[in-house]
Amino acid sequence: MKKAIISVLGNDRPGIIAAVSRLLYENESNIENVGQTSLQSEFAGIFIATIPARLSFPELESQLAEVLDPMGLQVHVKPMEPRHEATNGTVGESFVITTRGPDQKGLVARVTEIIARHQVNITNCQAVFKGGDDPNSNIMIYEVDIPPQTDQQALFHDLRQKGAELKLHVGIQHRDIFMTLNRI
Amino acid sequence: MLTSREIVSTLEMLQSEHLDLRTVTLGINLMDCVSDDLEKLCRNIRDKIKTLARNLVPACNQISDKYGIPVVNKRISISPIAIVAAPFDARQMVRVAQTLNDVAAEVNVDFVGGFSALVEKGLSNGDRSLIEAIPDALAGTERVCASVNVASTRAGINMDAVLMMGEVIKAAAEKTASQDGLAAAKLCVFANIPQDVPFMAGAYLGIGEPDAVINVGVSGPGVVRKAIDRALAQNPGWDLGQISELIKRTAYKVTRVGELIGREVADSIGIEFGAVDLSLAPTPNVGDSVGEIFQSLGLLSIGVPGSTAALAMLNDAIKKGGAFASSHVGGLSGAFIPVSEDLNIAEAARKGHLSIEKLEAMTSVCSVGLDMVAIPGDTTAETVAAMIADEMAIGVINHKTTATRLIPVPGKQAGENAFFGGLLGESVIMPVNNARGDNPFVLHGGRIPAPIHSMKN
Repeated sequence: MKKAIISVLGNDRPGIIAAVSRLLYENESNIENVGQTSLQSEFAGIFIATIPARLSFPELESQLAEVLDPMGLQVHVKPMEPRHEATNGTVGESFVITTRGPDQKGLVARVTEIIARHQVNITNCQAVFKGGDDPNSNIMIYEVDIPPQTDQQALFHDLRQKGAELKLHVGIQHRDIFMTLNRI
Repeated sequence: MLTSREIVSTLEMLQSEHLDLRTVTLGINLMDCVSDDLEKLCRNIRDKIKTLARNLVPACNQISDKYGIPVVNKRISISPIAIVAAPFDARQMVRVAQTLNDVAAEVNVDFVGGFSALVEKGLSNGDRSLIEAIPDALAGTERVCASVNVASTRAGINMDAVLMMGEVIKAAAEKTASQDGLAAAKLCVFANIPQDVPFMAGAYLGIGEPDAVINVGVSGPGVVRKAIDRALAQNPGWDLGQISELIKRTAYKVTRVGELIGREVADSIGIEFGAVDLSLAPTPNVGDSVGEIFQSLGLLSIGVPGSTAALAMLNDAIKKGGAFASSHVGGLSGAFIPVSEDLNIAEAARKGHLSIEKLEAMTSVCSVGLDMVAIPGDTTAETVAAMIADEMAIGVINHKTTATRLIPVPGKQAGENAFFGGLLGESVIMPVNNARGDNPFVLHGGRIPAPIHSMKN
């Protein structure tokens, strides 16, 4: 047995998960994890499955493409690789970085550049842009894991400085405050 | 993974609804500081407070920064000074108050509470000295708060002490006449005082408490008000059961914050975590008002008919939501209705919607009592004592804490304005109706016996 990562991208419609999972089942494969998200009308799904040794990755991809192409979906299969060093589980502390203010070109690039420079991994990223002047209607949200070796204060300083430059309200708060307020 | 809705609603609470932690209060037992040498006592007190409280403010600031939530006040509560400094006279007690004020400034806390005596059943020598020292102690310091417990459900009401407190309040106000009687705003008279209140002016550390303990007081009236406004805008047909459920859920959130921050502060300075006081505490700022909640519930103003019922519902919902959110609930735990500290309540008093009589009725269904009520400077000590006695009776009979913080504003009449500043706010001076000055009832003295339902054993 070996592990495959299958990614599916395309216009959202009923039956995508069903089509992928049926084909995997027919190939005696086992789905370990599935994640999916929909942005506006677009679907993106990622499946981690153990597949039989005899089944090659290109063979699986071509079988999936046969089913998914007619549905207007792109599929890509690749072998699962060992964990990359930057995300190797030595999770430090989880913070939520928010920038509030009107959308502008390069907003995400300039903020994430700082996060990347400090070797911090973004675990989740969401954009809430409704337009208008209310800062709470235009928010970028980055959930990050800050490794123990990262200089938190230097990261926060750089982010706040960039926020001031871009005229954004920058919030940096430990994730627990959001969990505490919203979840039992 | 958090949802964007969870993140946005949390940011709104923190940024536009004034969600904050009102106080982190470090309780410090001073019993091991006792000495019959005044200098030694003061030195011991200073050393102990400095040792334990040294890191309180930096820890609060650091944790406040980490979570992006303000910790508005950092305070200290101590063992009752009437016991700690029992051998000393009133003049010497004032020295102790000055020591407390100095050390509070050194460790940078806003207030230190516990210049206190517990006299519900009678007065010891230390209690007498302390009560006598209160006017000078409060007038001569900025950060010291005093409280005297004159009644309890188990003991009844010590009317001798009540009368003394009427005189002490008058004297304290007179000594700070140029500040509208500010000293009286730092003095609470209690029935059934809890041992772990983190809020001022009533904070002290009870005898049954640990050597050092962190108690926190949460805030959040703005959050409750906005939650009601939003819900009713979307669901105008909601009934009071549904609104009460919403308040309960909101109180849960507010209290959870107190629990989170309190525990982390306690851990970081290596001191035991005590309790969360899940009160709704206003400040004199728009949007941080308990009074505004009454308007959101559909009343013209706090004080109009329906107010007591609305407050009863609010207070109960806060307790239910808060109790679920915290492992240990303590202190006063209910809604506060301090007149001058709440812009909206002060306005209700100014417009005549809220009278002292209605305020007193409302205190039968919430925590505290006649709190931060400015009254005419010529109100006699006997009348002040009688007002205290009424408030104490509500607490004693209902097995609950009640208190008074009355400020007879020197040289001013009903309808004029009194200004106390900062969190203490400002207010119109409320008329004390039907008081003729003398009051033979309170002059009888003695002790009003404990009620029959105090006999529970």
